[in-house]
Amino acid sequence: MGPGISVQVQLSPGPFDPYALLASWSAGQAAAAECHFVGRVRPFTAANQQLDALELEHYPGMAERQLHQLATGQAQHHGVKAVLVHHRVGVIAPGAAIVLVAVAADRRGPAQRCCQGLLEALKHDAPFWKREWSAGVGTWVKGNTPLGEGH
Amino acid sequence: MVAASIYLRPIRLRLFASLREQAGWEQQDWAWPDQPQPPTPEQIWRSLGLTGSLDELRIAVNFEFAGPQQPLQPGDELAFLTPISGG
Repeated sequence: MGPGISVQVQLSPGPFDPYALLASWSAGQAAAAECHFVGRVRPFTAANQQLDALELEHYPGMAERQLHQLATGQAQHHGVKAVLVHHRVGVIAPGAAIVLVAVAADRRGPAQRCCQGLLEALKHDAPFWKREWSAGVGTWVKGNTPLGEGH
Repeated sequence: MVAASIYLRPIRLRLFASLREQAGWEQQDWAWPDQPQPPTPEQIWRSLGLTGSLDELRIAVNFEFAGPQQPLQPGDELAFLTPISGG
């Protein structure tokens, strides 16, 4: 890790309040710029059916390790001061938080670029798998939606 | 004479998500083979007889991404990973 970079990574088997985590994390930062992303479970499936729950499986040991490596790499690349990643695992209700990424830096540019870069990196390079549950049927999600989707 | 290979620790295989359900198992030990070269992930994948191409999967050795031809060591943990969908 680069000098002075703080990287915090945690997997959460139960629900978490991203704003409570942010309040605690932000209180320890002396940086002028922060960028935060909170991802939540959509209420519908990829097939546009009502979602009962999202199950998130992970590779224990590798998921934590990859998240830490990705966060450290992005922090060094963008020259930021601190990164926080909090990621749910297990069965998650619609609307609940699934991921929190927070970045602290001297300027908004590095903070925003690092936050986006880390989010994309973890979506593609951290071993998590989603299964959508709808009407008693579980369907594994194939890959991720592209960043531009929804435009 | 006893073959030296029986003294070498097996390779721990791991599967997750849809691949685990397709195979019907989540982990198993793969005995170290009696061959001059160390085995590779590709060799082991072929031996498992699972459907699908290795080109569509990712490989991890000891919790790090690896290539299909990486020489394996006794006691390694080898995982075959379907496309990731986190975040």
